[in-house]
Amino acid sequence: MNELGIVLRQIAAEKKNVWYSVLFGYIGGVTAAGLFAASGYLISKAALLPPVYTLTLLIAFIKVFGLVKAGSKYGERMVSHRATFNILAGIRVRFFEKLEPLAPGIFQKFRSGDLLARITGDVESLQNFFLRVYYPPLVLILVFLSSMIFTAFYSFWFPLIFAAGLLLTGLVIPAAFALRRQKIEEQVRESRAALSTYTAEVLYGFRDLKIYQQLESKEASLHQSAADYIANQERSSSQGMFNQSVNQAAGLLISWGVLAAGVYLVGEGQLDGVFLAMLVMLSLSVFENAAPMAVLPPHLEDSRKASSRLNEVTDMKPVKAEEPYESLSDEAPAIRFDTVSYTHEGEERPAVKEASFYIPAGSKTAIVGASGSGKSTIFQLLLGVLRTSEGDISLQNKTIRHIESEDIWEKSNVVMQENHFFFGTIRDNLQIAREGLTDEEMLWMLEKVSLTKFSLDDPVLEKGENLSGGERQRLAISRALLRKRSLWLLDEPLSSIDNVTSAEIMRYFEERTEDATVCLISHQLSGLEKMDQILVMDDGQVAEQGTYDELMTARGMFYEMKQIEQEILV
Amino acid sequence: MNQLSQYAKQYKGTQLLMTVIAILTGTSIIAQAYFIVKIVDEVFLNGSSFSSVLPLFGWLAVALIARAMLTFANGRSGAWMAAKVKKQIREQLLEKYARNPVQASLQGQSGRKVSVLMDAVDEVDSYFSKYIPQLILTAIIPLMIIITAFWFDWISGTVLLISAPFIPLFFIIIGIKTQKKSEEQLEQLSAFSGTFLDTLQGLTTLKLFGQAKKQRDTIEDSSLKFRDATLEVLKIAFISSLALEYISMLGVGLIALELGLRLIYFESVTFFTAFFVLVLAPEFYVAIRELGNAFHTGRGSIGAVKLIEEELTKDEDRVVWGKEKLEAGKPPHMTLNQTAFQYGEDGFMIGPLDAEFKPYENIALIGKSGSGKSTALNLLSGLIAPSSGQIMLNRKALSEYEEKSWFDQLSYISQQPFIFSGTLADNIAIGSKQQATREEIESAAEKAGLSPLIKDLQKGLDTPVGEGGRGLSGGEKQRLALARAFLKQPSVILFDEPTTGLDLKTEQILTASMEELSKRATVITVAHRLYTIRQADQILMLEDGKLKTRGDHTGLLKEPAYQQMVQGGAGHE
Repeated sequence: MNELGIVLRQIAAEKKNVWYSVLFGYIGGVTAAGLFAASGYLISKAALLPPVYTLTLLIAFIKVFGLVKAGSKYGERMVSHRATFNILAGIRVRFFEKLEPLAPGIFQKFRSGDLLARITGDVESLQNFFLRVYYPPLVLILVFLSSMIFTAFYSFWFPLIFAAGLLLTGLVIPAAFALRRQKIEEQVRESRAALSTYTAEVLYGFRDLKIYQQLESKEASLHQSAADYIANQERSSSQGMFNQSVNQAAGLLISWGVLAAGVYLVGEGQLDGVFLAMLVMLSLSVFENAAPMAVLPPHLEDSRKASSRLNEVTDMKPVKAEEPYESLSDEAPAIRFDTVSYTHEGEERPAVKEASFYIPAGSKTAIVGASGSGKSTIFQLLLGVLRTSEGDISLQNKTIRHIESEDIWEKSNVVMQENHFFFGTIRDNLQIAREGLTDEEMLWMLEKVSLTKFSLDDPVLEKGENLSGGERQRLAISRALLRKRSLWLLDEPLSSIDNVTSAEIMRYFEERTEDATVCLISHQLSGLEKMDQILVMDDGQVAEQGTYDELMTARGMFYEMKQIEQEILV
Repeated sequence: MNQLSQYAKQYKGTQLLMTVIAILTGTSIIAQAYFIVKIVDEVFLNGSSFSSVLPLFGWLAVALIARAMLTFANGRSGAWMAAKVKKQIREQLLEKYARNPVQASLQGQSGRKVSVLMDAVDEVDSYFSKYIPQLILTAIIPLMIIITAFWFDWISGTVLLISAPFIPLFFIIIGIKTQKKSEEQLEQLSAFSGTFLDTLQGLTTLKLFGQAKKQRDTIEDSSLKFRDATLEVLKIAFISSLALEYISMLGVGLIALELGLRLIYFESVTFFTAFFVLVLAPEFYVAIRELGNAFHTGRGSIGAVKLIEEELTKDEDRVVWGKEKLEAGKPPHMTLNQTAFQYGEDGFMIGPLDAEFKPYENIALIGKSGSGKSTALNLLSGLIAPSSGQIMLNRKALSEYEEKSWFDQLSYISQQPFIFSGTLADNIAIGSKQQATREEIESAAEKAGLSPLIKDLQKGLDTPVGEGGRGLSGGEKQRLALARAFLKQPSVILFDEPTTGLDLKTEQILTASMEELSKRATVITVAHRLYTIRQADQILMLEDGKLKTRGDHTGLLKEPAYQQMVQGGAGHE
């Protein structure tokens, strides 16, 4: 149960709503039982031709029970759902508070899209914990206890039978099925994953499969996995139904037992026959409360899995600087890499191998190389997103070991190839740059990156999906330009923008960053003539470094790359 | 619901079975009430002894167990039917997808297709496993109960009859209102619920801008707004069940009142009848109410089946194949004869093209992006069929050849070769026509320059790659595609030359490998490198799907369009 801590803490914070849910649930259960019992009693009593006022009283009871029952059912639903949503809100906030210090380092460990979707899904699925696992058993037990106390007035046999029934339908039967169910659910998940993989392969790899004539065999396994998945689903749902039916049968048989005990006691003269109908009706209605217990174990299991997955994320330790901390000044930093190596988790080969270079303060450096050559890893290391013990990195002559990552981010402007935009307006997205930005400043900046067709109030959809790739890049660069910083890290910031516009933006950019230290990852080799230094990365190593002219005269790797680039037409 | 009931129609037998089950369930409900009442009546009023009602207890137990078993049987047949339908739909979809996904993957719809096949099909489930079984139960059980009630006591029967229509009426009224309300809220809801994911996705950006801590309040705020909006919608649903509960309460209360009075004042009804009707009345209302719940779960299926139908009714151009065998090991003489292809009714059109490719020739296709080069390559590969005109191999149409015999001679090296989940060796072996030996795979990997990579990996050729395995860089994927071609030794190679991003080593391997492969094959390249274009025996320049000009490099230099392309386009300047 330990892993459920994250939900339980939030439930504890919702005390009032929890109590009300249980209270309303209890009233609903008891009045429903009362209603049935009273109507059973009414009929029996009426058969004995009693004075009319007893009957009137009973009928009044029935009416009141009916109204209260329906009303409290409504109250229970409202309150328990309100509590559930509050709990979810609390979990989201708490989880965010825990995740926030881990980012962005944590995204290196997982394929981040996958991780985030999983997290949101897991948090969502925890809504069932309170609603289906936490409070229904409480209500069930309270209703049973009340019925047991009530029936104890007639004979001690009834509470005993009820207790046995509660144990059977509320605990033994659900528990007996839970284990089997877990296994089946596991198989359902596995076969679903298999089907999804095969489908993706056949669709995305169609051309290669077709030409290499592997399509038929892949299709065969696809059909097979589709059939497996459905068969497992069918087994799962039929098992669920079997579970429910067994529970229903148990409840009905307990009522049967109540009736049998009643009949026996009437025969023995220990019970008045007028109560017989009432007791049976009571029993039939009370066991309807046990039905939700059948779905409790699977929900418990899901919640447990979801929260342990969440814990797995939040239990991770962020990569951090060591004390004593040193802080960076606002001046443009000089950067030094001294035989730095880094291997990503789970990889065999290092992404960066013994990289050494020096970037003087205020200089402009380009990093070039093929995809996968380690350019982006250099950036991650420089930002303190990744930290390594092999070799040393220094900024402003201070070792990065003692500089907090937040401090580096605070002093730098980073523009990636893909940048995130939030659901909201252009203004919302630009204001992230800095507090107190005026509309004039923002509009002026939009003009500088040729985005005048947008107004500040124009909507931006999730991930900026209503903007083109080029527009997103221009918006990202203007967002960074609105923040005045002395270290710039640019990872192919203009790759989706046409040459003319990108040259214009670069010109303005150079004007604005004259004093800053700038590192630019670039695919294109043209336009690098003005750089103070070019680092050529190959397979994790710095293969060459120097100015454009130096590298071209050296006729080494950069020269070769330039030859190929000139060969390529787009 | 139309398409759904179309599927349901195929399972008339199952529905008949469900009807029988429903009748039996109704019988067991009535029997249960009957025996309970009979026992109470015997013992309470007639003073029978325990032993004399023992047989009645036996019958009651039978009725109770039968009821539980019938519930299972009903649900089970629903699940069976749902499984059958899902299977049928999935097979249809798979067949559809397998026939013509090239166009779809060109249009980037593969993700959507996966989602339809997985999620939409699963959503169809509840209609067959929940809605239909419940519909049948609701059609039969209340009817049986009401007939029984009339049989025993027409006054109570009338009360039931009059109160019953209020329930569906209420459902309809409230259902309409809920739907309107929830549609209004839906947009808001999805916006609020998306905030959490949106914030998590943007966490890197937020942290770099030092804005992450503030987002805590945004998350809380939107979560609470989400709560309020959802509760608004739920409230209506809860109120509707409250109202329904009142109706059934009122009904049961009325019956109790009427029976009680008649028992005492008029003595026009026996205890047995009164109690019997009283036990049955709640069952009557429950059966009707359950339909409402089932309807709710079934509604999700309607949207899902619409998506599925959309996929199933999409146009397709089926590629036709014949029986001719293509001679192995010798490149065919290829001609394009007024070959044209059009996407959809008025989509982009390429052609009509006329061209002749002699065996062992090197052909370069050039043109701006969007000029139809990739489509031309897909046409030549036989993955899509020309809308008009023909592709001829050795003077016979491509469509007359046997599919296997053509693909056996063909390799297609794309910019993004697909890596399947499996080992490196599996991924290379896919190129082979027969079962490849380990030596053959190793030698193909060697030729494609994969050896250094393989040596670096602990498991070598047996390293898992693709989904769930090790990621490969662009250069490594390209080499893998070359290894496949070396293993296959095709006589026709279609090659989509990479535009950028390869490391120098791979660039060198690529040039050397293509030279090696072209000794035994006709090579048709979508060319992006001047070197490749200069080396080509024949250059076809496309513009807006039409053939702009053709010839070899020296010959074409006189053409202004070609000149501009080759000189102006190089080096991004």
